Amino acid sequence: MAQVLAMVLAGGRVGELGVLTFFRPKSVLPYGGLYRVIDFPMSNLMHSDIENVGILSQYRPFELINHTANGEPWDMTGRQRCAVILPPFQGRGASDWYKGTADAVAQNIDFIRLHSPEIVVVISGDHIYRMDYRDIILFHLEKNADLTVAFTKVPPEGSSRFGLGSIEDEEPRGGRLTVYREKPKSSRLEWASLTIYVFRTQLLIRALMENEPASSHEFGKDIIPIFMENHRVYGYKHSGYWGYTRTIEEYYRTSMDLLGANPRVDIRSWQIRTNMSDRSIRDRPPAFIGPSATTEDVLFHCGCNVNGRVARSILFPGVTIEEGAVVEDSILFFDATVRSGSVVRRTIADTGCTIGRRSDIGGGPDGLTVIGMETAVPEETRIHGGVTVHPKLREDIFARQEYLPGEVVQ
Amino acid sequence: MRNPAAILLAGGVGSRLNILVRQRAKPAVPFGGIYRIIDFTLSNIANSGITDVAVLTQYKPLSLMDHIGNGESWDLSGRTRRVKIFPPKTGEKDWDWYHGTADAVRQNISFVTSAKSDEIMILSGDHVYHMDYRLMVDFHRAKKARVTIATITVPWEETHQFGTAVTNNENRIVEWEEKSPRARSNLASMGIYVFDRDYLVALLTESKEADFGHHIIPMALGEGVVYAYPFNGYWRDVGTVQAYWDANMDLFDPASGIHPGSWRTMTNINAAGPAFDRPPVCVSSTGHVQRSIVSPGCTIRGTVVNCVLSPGVTIEQGARVSDSIIMHDCRIEKGAQVERSILDKEVAVGAGTTVGRGDPKTVNAAHPEHLYSGLTVIGKRTDIPPGITVGTNCIIYPLIPAEDFSGTNIGDGETVTGGYETT
Repeated sequence: MAQVLAMVLAGGRVGELGVLTFFRPKSVLPYGGLYRVIDFPMSNLMHSDIENVGILSQYRPFELINHTANGEPWDMTGRQRCAVILPPFQGRGASDWYKGTADAVAQNIDFIRLHSPEIVVVISGDHIYRMDYRDIILFHLEKNADLTVAFTKVPPEGSSRFGLGSIEDEEPRGGRLTVYREKPKSSRLEWASLTIYVFRTQLLIRALMENEPASSHEFGKDIIPIFMENHRVYGYKHSGYWGYTRTIEEYYRTSMDLLGANPRVDIRSWQIRTNMSDRSIRDRPPAFIGPSATTEDVLFHCGCNVNGRVARSILFPGVTIEEGAVVEDSILFFDATVRSGSVVRRTIADTGCTIGRRSDIGGGPDGLTVIGMETAVPEETRIHGGVTVHPKLREDIFARQEYLPGEVVQ
Repeated sequence: MRNPAAILLAGGVGSRLNILVRQRAKPAVPFGGIYRIIDFTLSNIANSGITDVAVLTQYKPLSLMDHIGNGESWDLSGRTRRVKIFPPKTGEKDWDWYHGTADAVRQNISFVTSAKSDEIMILSGDHVYHMDYRLMVDFHRAKKARVTIATITVPWEETHQFGTAVTNNENRIVEWEEKSPRARSNLASMGIYVFDRDYLVALLTESKEADFGHHIIPMALGEGVVYAYPFNGYWRDVGTVQAYWDANMDLFDPASGIHPGSWRTMTNINAAGPAFDRPPVCVSSTGHVQRSIVSPGCTIRGTVVNCVLSPGVTIEQGARVSDSIIMHDCRIEKGAQVERSILDKEVAVGAGTTVGRGDPKTVNAAHPEHLYSGLTVIGKRTDIPPGITVGTNCIIYPLIPAEDFSGTNIGDGETVTGGYETT
């Protein structure tokens, strides 16, 4: 196999994820009762035998640095292996912050040259999917392509927030990319880009340098068009599960795909690795399910202590559900606590938050309720569906006993 | 002052645990879902700030060595920390096996002499307990003792299994009885010692005796420098099948005093097991779990009551498992019933089969001293076929394929060796 270097775009903060990304980049958003979103591309890279990875990050990188731990969780440490975080830097000729995805890679051309790979794979770190990148690399090499972009089929709609393309009908795996439009306002194109790019290294470096003086620095908007003009660009058709985590609703839906009798995401067969030494996971005892608990269609991990009723929900390590509490259709992050007599429905409760006794959170037709990290909701509080509660709020911040749909508590 | 170095005696055979120790030493026996028995001592070491550790192994040490690895899981790796494993060495004679606890330490006396601390702790890897050794070391220093032995009050009817101490009102041991049938004290040794290092070296060089309890302690006693440190917490020997089962069941009881989470009990989750991380537990909409410890990677579609489940266990729809310890990657197929049983790793119980139900008064015929209280034990990787019954007080050996049962039921107190040599 060709020498491959992967660049993972992991830095962004997405406004639509609101309070969930106040203190962390979206790539370390907890997912699936144990994992972080970036574990999916990292595990895919590991299973694809790609062992040299640069992770581009600039938004609140502490949790990400901690989590990726030099690539150790994915066996990427060793004399021929590495996974390193590449933060933005100041230097002679280098500006400070990454101005976009392409600029992030452009500022690390030295890192690419150091590894002198034949192929650079650029992937975004915020999707839930399983893919053997060797298949698309093999396709790329067989087609003698300069750039291969992975696509998935979407129903054609008026406008799109994805890059859309048209792929020539060469073979089942894909073909020449004939049209590419970045987030078009109106389009009948039905192949959406998965932001997985396989580049011939020298041409990538040339295109990045060519684009540097421009005002925009995005792969979809700027780099792919450069390639479309002058080079051989192929589209690779991916047909497996593809989960978005870009908005609260998408994140929730992608999470709920883990549940049910025949889950769309069969996490048990995906062989995902995460950082088990992370302090949010390590040294916890196995879960304890108490004498008065009922659990129905639930995922949970070590350190959980369940004494109430839980249905159709995902509990991260260390969650406590006291006797008489009810949790339904919800996602509770690390060490969240639901006190006795509370009811929590259609809610995402971030790490370390506490729901006081006899409170009633979420539910109803008005959308999801999101409660930020380490917030303590006082007892007997009614928080309707569609309410957003900011992180790190103490009980005395809650002046009222009821918060209506659409309100933001801060 | 520097924390003591520790020598952990992990050679215990634990033969009364029967087939659970057929392929592993007692300290390596799984416990409490994700742990092994030795994790309790290793975690006590780590939580007490001890960073220089020797582990002396002897009996079937492979799973133990895998498990300890480089000690990283207990923060014993790094430039100023170490855990070294010392299997018996061949010396002048062909096989210089360790002849006893003191002999094992004597054969590795270079660890003692090279330790940078003034005290040496001698520990055993056989017990389930939480203990802060720093308190015992403080006691040792305050008493100006040369030897301190941790002691616990045991029921009088059990004193014959222990070394017992008669103390004066300053906790100094004035008389010592080793496994006496008529002990005069019920203050039992926990097999945990603090020695002044130089004193230990002197004792071990002056004598050639093999055992601490039988020989070395009585020698030191005459000099009036041996003290008993009183310990009142949870401490179990888990040396019998019944004691092992009881201690596992204590994990559900908030009043029992054993809480692996609150005293930060650490284990090596990476040894053996699959190459990926165990996913979260999945309880399906048909699953029902009550009063149980459930480890990652379990899939539960049936009913689980009063159980300790290790990682990767699957309980199929309509199956019911109660009052049992089910180790890693066991499969309980549809409609199977398992009661009061201990299933070693990777055991399969076929659809509709019943295990562990019967008359507890019929003790095991081959090992009445091991299985007499209404528990059934099934060895690693045995495959119990569908549609049969296995009674109580049964021993089913490891690695027996389903066809070897030829569809016959196993009555109470029976042992199935599957043609393997008996222990």
